[in-house]
Amino acid sequence: MSIANQPLLKLENITKRFKELTAVNGVNLEVSPGEKLVIIGPSGSGKSTLLRAINLLEEIEEGTICFEGREVGYVMRSGKRHPDRPQAISALRAEIGMVFQHFHLFPHMTVLGNVMEGPLTVQRKSAEEARSIAVDILEKVGLADKRDVFPATLSGGQKQRVAIARALAMRPKLMLFDEPTSALDPELVGEVFDTIHTLADEGMTMIIVTHHMGFARELADRVIFMESGNFLAQGTPDELFSIAQDNERIRGFLNRLL
Amino acid sequence: MIYLVSRAFVALLFLCTLAGNCLGAVDYDQLFRQSSDLMALGDLDGALTLLRQVPTPAAGEEAGPFVSSRMQAARIHAAQENTDSAIADCQEVLILFPDNSEARNFVAALRDQLKPGWHTVLSDTLRFLPSLAKGALMTLMLVLCTMLVSPLGGLLIALGRISTLRPVSGTCWFIIWFFRGTPLLLQLFFIYYGLPSLGITLPPFTAAVIGLGLNYSAYLGEIIRGAIQSIDHGQMEAAKAIGMSYSQAMRRVIIPQTYKRLMPPIGNEFIALIKDTALVSTIAMVELMRSADQLFNTYFNITALALAAVIYLVLTTIFTFIFEKIEYRAGIYEHR
Repeated sequence: MSIANQPLLKLENITKRFKELTAVNGVNLEVSPGEKLVIIGPSGSGKSTLLRAINLLEEIEEGTICFEGREVGYVMRSGKRHPDRPQAISALRAEIGMVFQHFHLFPHMTVLGNVMEGPLTVQRKSAEEARSIAVDILEKVGLADKRDVFPATLSGGQKQRVAIARALAMRPKLMLFDEPTSALDPELVGEVFDTIHTLADEGMTMIIVTHHMGFARELADRVIFMESGNFLAQGTPDELFSIAQDNERIRGFLNRLL
Repeated sequence: MIYLVSRAFVALLFLCTLAGNCLGAVDYDQLFRQSSDLMALGDLDGALTLLRQVPTPAAGEEAGPFVSSRMQAARIHAAQENTDSAIADCQEVLILFPDNSEARNFVAALRDQLKPGWHTVLSDTLRFLPSLAKGALMTLMLVLCTMLVSPLGGLLIALGRISTLRPVSGTCWFIIWFFRGTPLLLQLFFIYYGLPSLGITLPPFTAAVIGLGLNYSAYLGEIIRGAIQSIDHGQMEAAKAIGMSYSQAMRRVIIPQTYKRLMPPIGNEFIALIKDTALVSTIAMVELMRSADQLFNTYFNITALALAAVIYLVLTTIFTFIFEKIEYRAGIYEHR
């Protein structure tokens, strides 16, 4: 298999249980470099948990995660799974950007400070270098004029764009979006959608968990419908919509959204 | 014949006694007793008349009864609020004995009474202020040292408490349990008087800082732990998601956000600390409380205690303002 065809991310048999509840039930997934994958499905179907498992924010009970062909996150010691060393886990997270539903900007840092933080603290770049990276990226998300204000003064859409910029400053190979527009007022969804769209056009590999069908229709190479911890259906947007004609559950879900 | 001689001897003896009386070599005890009896009956003027009978001694004569009588007269005059006569009584003594400290102090006290009230307070203040200021400086030193030590100790205890390592969190739980559960006074006694029996002898200042530091670290530990755990869990996740380690996330993201929440309760603790330093007066430290106590016991003057109260109030007021300023600065990012 050539490097080009090698999947960036490969999940095998991912299983996550919360006590009695199985949130993710033996899921397999391959994501190629440059692919835009959208995961939809009702609340509690395990979409967010799967995304968080990829970033190792959620510890899984079974399965393997391969990133760039390396198995990551867990080691076998005397026949039992253990989380990998903290340094190894941090190193993986540094290569995967994550954007949260509720932004989670650092409120005590300015916009510029938020975006500089990764390069400065994690990559240990000099202050000038981190600053110039941050300034460039803020320019790209259209918030260059907001760089010296604190997040409390921003609108929800602006906050989410800063959060995207913060993740991008680490030059990630994969971006994970966990319902990036769900906490926004409807009129603010557009600016965040446009920012993600621009990123997609530049060839960023991304997995987006969303209820916003615009992502699925306009942006996705592949859409996965997830329910009760399983992938119920997947395909290109057109394929999924045609599958939906025959599948009552998917049709019902899409009708509620549209 | 023998009878006549003995009679004459007795008469001679009587005459000698009489003469002796007239010459001043009298036993004054009876006179003082009589004057005391009259005072007890409320006849102060009668007592004064008796006391005035004690003559001014000639050079080389026993002066004790004279001094006693004039000082007693001065006290009676003072009790009658006849301050001028009281001073005159003392002056009689001072003419003969300019160094008599009893008369001099009494004149000074009487002259003070003639001055207006504020003047007395002012002169007392000026008299007491130097030693109170020295005590206040020591109190301030103790407060500043404890303020430096206890937040660091508190942070360590807080991080230990939320640690997933059982022995660490257990130890920190024990420290908090012990130092919050026993009186500070007892802890100070143990460190200063108890440790020497284990071969550890500490100077009072060191013992005081260790005692106050440990006690306040325990309290601040719980406050800091609460503040850390009150920060939205998403902050830790966001920090981890950009690749930060636990300690980087704590240092750069979580702990800086606790400052604003910490200031009101920590300010509260530090105000209590300023007053708790008074307890170290029991382990041979001369700080503000001890200085005031010493002055009070020497001069029996309530002004010393009132001044100490004022100084404590000044200290707590200054620190209250400082804490409010810091709290505002720490939360400036929340202002729109």
